[in-house]
Amino acid sequence: MTPHELPKDGLTVFVKAECETCAMIAPVLDGLRKSGTETTIITQDDPSFPSGLSSVDDTALELSYRFDVEVVPTILRMRDGKEVARSFGWHRRDWEELTGQRDLGPGLPEARPGCGSRTREPGAWETLVARFGDSGIGARSIHLGEWDDEIEACFERGWSDGLPLVPPTDARILRMLEGTTRAPDEIIGDVPPNLTPISVEKAAINAVMAGCRPEYMPVVLTALEAALMPEATMHGVLCTTCFSSPILVVNGPITRKIGMNSGINCLGQGNRANATIGRALQLIIRNVGGGRPGELDRAVLGGPGKYTFCFAEDETDPTWTPLNVARGFTPGTNTVTLFQGDGIQGFIDQRSRTPRELIRSLARSLMAVGNWKLCEFTNALLVLVPEHYAIFREAGWDRDRILAELHAALRRPGTDVVQGAHGIGEGVSPDRRDELVDKFWPEGLLIVHAGGQAGLFSAICAGWTGGRFRHESKTVTREILS
Amino acid sequence: MTTTLRDPTGETASILRERVAPLQDFSGRTIALMDIGKMRGEEFIDRLEQLCSDRGISTRRYKKPTNTRVAPPDMIDDITGTCDAVIIALSDCGSCTSCSTHDLNDLDRNGLTGVSVLTEEFRNAFESQKSAIGLDAASVYVPHPMQNRTTEELHAFAEAALSQILAEICQDDLPQA
Repeated sequence: MTPHELPKDGLTVFVKAECETCAMIAPVLDGLRKSGTETTIITQDDPSFPSGLSSVDDTALELSYRFDVEVVPTILRMRDGKEVARSFGWHRRDWEELTGQRDLGPGLPEARPGCGSRTREPGAWETLVARFGDSGIGARSIHLGEWDDEIEACFERGWSDGLPLVPPTDARILRMLEGTTRAPDEIIGDVPPNLTPISVEKAAINAVMAGCRPEYMPVVLTALEAALMPEATMHGVLCTTCFSSPILVVNGPITRKIGMNSGINCLGQGNRANATIGRALQLIIRNVGGGRPGELDRAVLGGPGKYTFCFAEDETDPTWTPLNVARGFTPGTNTVTLFQGDGIQGFIDQRSRTPRELIRSLARSLMAVGNWKLCEFTNALLVLVPEHYAIFREAGWDRDRILAELHAALRRPGTDVVQGAHGIGEGVSPDRRDELVDKFWPEGLLIVHAGGQAGLFSAICAGWTGGRFRHESKTVTREILS
Repeated sequence: MTTTLRDPTGETASILRERVAPLQDFSGRTIALMDIGKMRGEEFIDRLEQLCSDRGISTRRYKKPTNTRVAPPDMIDDITGTCDAVIIALSDCGSCTSCSTHDLNDLDRNGLTGVSVLTEEFRNAFESQKSAIGLDAASVYVPHPMQNRTTEELHAFAEAALSQILAEICQDDLPQA
């Protein structure tokens, strides 16, 4: 039944059987009927309730949705097909005024609150908007056949990174949009390689497919904004023949709020926020930007980070300066840092006892980034685990000291690294033979503190080769707004 | 109840996946003639086979066990391994239109360019099925109905549709008989 099929004049009452107040007022409804007042009773759950009053079955909740019922019982007075008065719950005085009758429910209390409408159960509203209302979603509709499998349909259309996607239905998209205060039609930027404009809504659709929860949306949108900053060179990163992809490091209290992992196995599987935020960005690149492997994504090997690579920094140690603070943000700011990098190279050192030993050891491994002889060519991200950091902390070394010591330990004579040295063609320009050559530019080595409390196994992520254009391609950090 | 999804792409192109491009030419190529297993289709394909042969186009015949199901995986594998393009004929009902469009899609995903031949009556069904599958599939139509036609009439359908069918799978001009 639709609203226009209801009587144009009279009373309309929404109830549900499981509501005690609704059960309590059943005799009142019976009395209204017997008084000759046109009274339509609409029940949300059990069509046989209230017994003997032949109520209208609204288990599909269309009428409840269209009349925007928030509480049961809700009583409406209709005149000429329009609502002219409304009351909810049981308030004798209100009901008497609205019905024009006296002494309603003489044995009942003066007032009793109602219960929540079934339309307000978690997840119901967006589904009802999608089913009966105007979702306001602007993206093209794709109608599947009656027997089509939704997940297979997503694969068929080429939307997937190879793993199953959550089908982007209107209800899911509406729920995802609830995760941000930004307008669905706001354009965030142009996504490479096709430089296609992307709206908040389109980002939400891809976030749905990636498996995000609505509360991840601010992080997803910020990651996208970071990727679209010119110095992030996302265009190059996605099209490159190298292994690289965006590595997202999230800082701030939002990481705890949305349950991101900065501890055990934080670079691995098993955490929904870590997994799906990074995946959402990659799906946006694929679907909105058109960056698909074998077409414009020309990675000769690629890497697992091209599915997703996103984690939070461990900010629980007060002696550690978080990455975003080191990059100029106020402590406690929520940020996303985007580093253009590859998969991990494990750093194993279970013998070093002093910071100097550990620095020398780390430096030797960091020299392998890209190629042992390439210098100021790629950047690097060092994920320093708690047990390794403890060696520095106990010696009173902070982030700045560790970085300074690492850079110093990564400085080598030009004769060691020029092209041809050690019988290896690769290397730095021969005209640097007489210089001392740094492995990384001062801003080219990032350190993030993360990982489980046990294990002397840190990780090095090599940077993208595009990083050799130091003024063109940079690590970027952006504040997460709403 | 059917499901409606929303397009996650930049909407700069069709929502349908582009089909595998037609061959450059027929030289050294083998065309699969897939009989969907529907009655009378064989007569249409017999003529198509002869017309191809007259033009020096190499073909290989296949026949599905039934028009009411998609082709067996072995048949799809065999076509993929031995042929360069496929002509699927002749659909004149709902189930055969649906199943044969899936066959066309499966072969397209395996890298084969292809075309489906159907009767006019199933133009909308084919459009609907290709939209649900998401493939911008190629089709050629012959008159409907076909079940009550003589063999000569079915042969005439094949002759009339030949150039259109071959144009969907090969960019080169139709070779002369």
